Amino acid sequence: MTIQTLYLLSPEILLVIAALAIYLGGAFLPEGRKPVRLAMAAILAAALVLGLTRYEGIHFGPLMLDQLATATRWLALVFGALLLPMAVRGIREPHGSEYVGTFLLALVGLMLAGSADELVLLFLGLELISIPTYILLYLGRGDAAAREATAKYFFLSLLASALLLYGFSFLYGATGTTELAGIRDHLSAVGAKNGAAGRLVKIAIVLIVAGLGFRITAVPFHFYAPDVYQGTSHANAALLAILPKVAGMVVLLRIVAGAMPNLAGEACRLLLILALASMTFGNVVALWQNHLRRLMAYSSIAHTGYLLLGLAAGLAAVPGGNGWDGLTAVLFYLAVYAAATLGTFAAFAYLGRDERPLEAVEELTGLGRTRPLAALALGGFMFSLTGIPPLAGFWGKLAVFGSALGVGAGNAVSPMGLWLTVITVAAVVNSAISAAYYLRIVSTMYFRAPLGTPRAEGGPAAAWTAGICAVLVLLLGLYCAPLWSVAADVACPATIAVPVEGR
Amino acid sequence: MNTLLLVTILMPLAGSLLAWGGALRARRSALVTTLFVLGMAGTLCFSYPPQAARYAATELRWFADAPLDIRFSLALDGLSVWLVGLTALLSVVAVLVSWDAIQDQAARFYRLLLVLEAGMLGAFAARDIVLFYVFFEFTLIPLFFLIGIWGSEERQHAAVKFFLYTLAGSVLTFLGLLAIVLWASPPGRWTFSIPELTARLMVDPLPHGVQLWIFVALFAGFAIKVPLFPLHTWLPLAHVQAPTAGSVILAGLLLKIGTYGFLRFSVPLLPQATAVCMPWLLGLSVGGILYGALVALAQSDIKRLIAYSSVSHLGFCMLGIFSLTAPGVQGGALQMVNHGLSTGGLFAIVGMLYERYHTRQMKDLGGLARRLPVLSFFALVLVLSSIGLPGLNGFAGEFLLLLGMFQQAFVSGSQGLQVLAVLSVLGVVLGAWYMLKLVQQVFFGPLREPAASHGPPVRDLNAREVAALTPLVVFMVWIGVAPGFFLDRMGPTLDYLTAPAMRARCEMSNADGQIEIGSAGCDRDQFAAAAVRVGGAARTGVQTTVSRTQD
Repeated sequence: MTIQTLYLLSPEILLVIAALAIYLGGAFLPEGRKPVRLAMAAILAAALVLGLTRYEGIHFGPLMLDQLATATRWLALVFGALLLPMAVRGIREPHGSEYVGTFLLALVGLMLAGSADELVLLFLGLELISIPTYILLYLGRGDAAAREATAKYFFLSLLASALLLYGFSFLYGATGTTELAGIRDHLSAVGAKNGAAGRLVKIAIVLIVAGLGFRITAVPFHFYAPDVYQGTSHANAALLAILPKVAGMVVLLRIVAGAMPNLAGEACRLLLILALASMTFGNVVALWQNHLRRLMAYSSIAHTGYLLLGLAAGLAAVPGGNGWDGLTAVLFYLAVYAAATLGTFAAFAYLGRDERPLEAVEELTGLGRTRPLAALALGGFMFSLTGIPPLAGFWGKLAVFGSALGVGAGNAVSPMGLWLTVITVAAVVNSAISAAYYLRIVSTMYFRAPLGTPRAEGGPAAAWTAGICAVLVLLLGLYCAPLWSVAADVACPATIAVPVEGR
Repeated sequence: MNTLLLVTILMPLAGSLLAWGGALRARRSALVTTLFVLGMAGTLCFSYPPQAARYAATELRWFADAPLDIRFSLALDGLSVWLVGLTALLSVVAVLVSWDAIQDQAARFYRLLLVLEAGMLGAFAARDIVLFYVFFEFTLIPLFFLIGIWGSEERQHAAVKFFLYTLAGSVLTFLGLLAIVLWASPPGRWTFSIPELTARLMVDPLPHGVQLWIFVALFAGFAIKVPLFPLHTWLPLAHVQAPTAGSVILAGLLLKIGTYGFLRFSVPLLPQATAVCMPWLLGLSVGGILYGALVALAQSDIKRLIAYSSVSHLGFCMLGIFSLTAPGVQGGALQMVNHGLSTGGLFAIVGMLYERYHTRQMKDLGGLARRLPVLSFFALVLVLSSIGLPGLNGFAGEFLLLLGMFQQAFVSGSQGLQVLAVLSVLGVVLGAWYMLKLVQQVFFGPLREPAASHGPPVRDLNAREVAALTPLVVFMVWIGVAPGFFLDRMGPTLDYLTAPAMRARCEMSNADGQIEIGSAGCDRDQFAAAAVRVGGAARTGVQTTVSRTQD
């Protein structure tokens, strides 16, 4: 840790200081006041600092400040600014300042996980997401269901962290370094497939994927998600559906695609199995759900499947292959998914009441007439998650499926290409299945006579968040080239770092 | 860069933004918009030069990232120009028939209708695979709401079934289209341009195994859309439950996207697979023709009857297209337009009857010819067109496509195809039977009206309804009397699109030793030329028959 490292981490440090100030100052706040303004100001300041920090190169000690890191940090800040105001609304006094401070720490966790180039810092970043999340879950709602959800998440999250750490230790044992660049150099120099070291690395991959699989809710590490989503508030569910998933995918990208290029084949097979299981299980089980957050939990599991398919395609891509890059597709999909999911939860939160949030699909009945704008936005998110053009989700699916199919196309038919093609067919069938439950929400809103005007008392913040996400989803659907080129730039360094012969 | 086509497609979208406020204001602005669109589409249709392949083209970069080259590319050729015209025409009809029927949330209804129009215009005019798919899939959203909000009793079920059924097929189609791009693009650049891919694949077709897989994937979506027997089960429910305008558009236009997809993608891009699958598709088409006709014969609900007749008629379109002969393909393409005019019109008539009597049951109605002479006149003309009376459009299309089918069956000498050809004629007979049964029951015989229909006394068609039906009849007579005008403008495009498949079929027959004409074997170009000549002769034949009937 040099002075320069501290300088480069100044946005994160700023947020941590703000969080501590909020913890301490919360005691002095009058009853009923929550320090949201201060937190928003801190996020804004962090964004300013992030925008103004200048540096040359990408490696700084334990940090890797490439475009992936920059994009993740920006995403964390934007996500935080959109979610925080609506999230604090339902928090019981006197926990307002605790919630806000902890929320900021979770954001710092994502920012660190995105910019770490070293196993220990990576783990630190991931834990900085998990540990605040326990508290946020508990503070979100005070009832028995929330306590159950918190306990469940706590224990399983600990298990996942242990698995991940165990995997890291194998990786360290095989290569003798904790730096990702060092691991990559070592693996490509020794030839990772042979000897005891090779076996250790394979075990490491399995353990790391299992540990991160929990964060991204991949089947079979998903089973906490439905209960936890159901047992918490809409805002917390949005947090869980996005923050750990982004972090998990970014870290997976960094480790599997960036640091272990020689083992791309093994990793790819593993990810394909998880992808198929996640999307099929998520979509099929979601068909029977009637609880909104439970349904969205299974939907989030299914989307993990598509993301993993894109990642596998990125790993399996042939050298010099053209077209959609799988890694770019994953990042693009992640952004699009985050917008639609955040918007959905914000709309749910807006339509409920503080003391009684929206729970069942039936509560949306007739919304097309009683709350036309909210219904329009929600309908847009549902169609986007299904992948119907011209909404953003369509382009995400186009890119993921195109990249997966691209591996199998061409004249050299590899077994991996064939597998990817088969699983892509399964994936499109899955997105048709997913339409059934997304449409159920839409048809409930529009095709049934309203039972009475729902008391939309979720507050203006939730309405704004839903509105902003809806506009994003539509605009990106009509013209997605800007986001795509950002995603391509971001994915590029992660792929350039990969030696060509290993891919 | 010709912006007329672009403006034509964007116009309904702009119109849908204006259609706010009360019912009257919404439907007026919808009518004005669709009329404007009709004017522009009409200009495009009648200024279309017969040989043009890229007429009124517009091209904008859309999603271009080094190797990916997705463009917002629109153009018309001899196939799409008529479908664009038909879309514009039927949209006006759809607005007019909804005038009084839709009172609930009218502004929203017309906004969706206009958005749907834009989607269909775009699907027919798109010259980029992704753009086509975007429009193709996008049409589902407005139609889903049109059926689900304004449909009859089982609307919710019908809307969801329609959406899921169609989506399940079209996602596979999407994969097939992507696979075509991935396999057929030049190295280093992925092109999504349909004309470019067509040209490339004509010179250098894909390996046969790959073609077959892709054909199956494309088939999944297009066959459901058509709908080809036995994938038609969504159609009766959706047609019957949809509001009148929805049925008009669904039957008249949306089904055509399926046949259009076959003609635009499956046949030209996968010629060998088309040649291999041809007998199967012909079998399914004939199955659909007979099944649709028989089920239609058993219906007592007029709307259901017409819905099943669509299954039968679309079977005829597919029969023509997959006969892989010039007259057959031309007949099939013409029949697409014909079916849009006649069945669209018939659904409009059912809607008008329903508004008057609140029933769609044949047994409740009878002898309306004396009670509602104008409505009965239009109904009779539409029915006659639908059963293919010489002098009206149905005859020109059916004659050509049956001619093509027989030519293929007897030139190739395949007995299976000969049986199919004969069976398809049976379909024509059945078609006349159920349609005339409908006319006899509802419009002739003793007067029978549902007792004590509350509300104002039943009146004949008003000026608005006549205005909705008249243009359909005008075009039916025009196509019936002078099909040459339309065929001349369709011909070159269709020949271009189907030539590789015809050649592949010919080579296959050659290999099997089935071909009998010119025992030296069939010179492909000679075969194609012969087919074109026969087509020309048939066309003259149609014209002579027509003039004779008129004498």
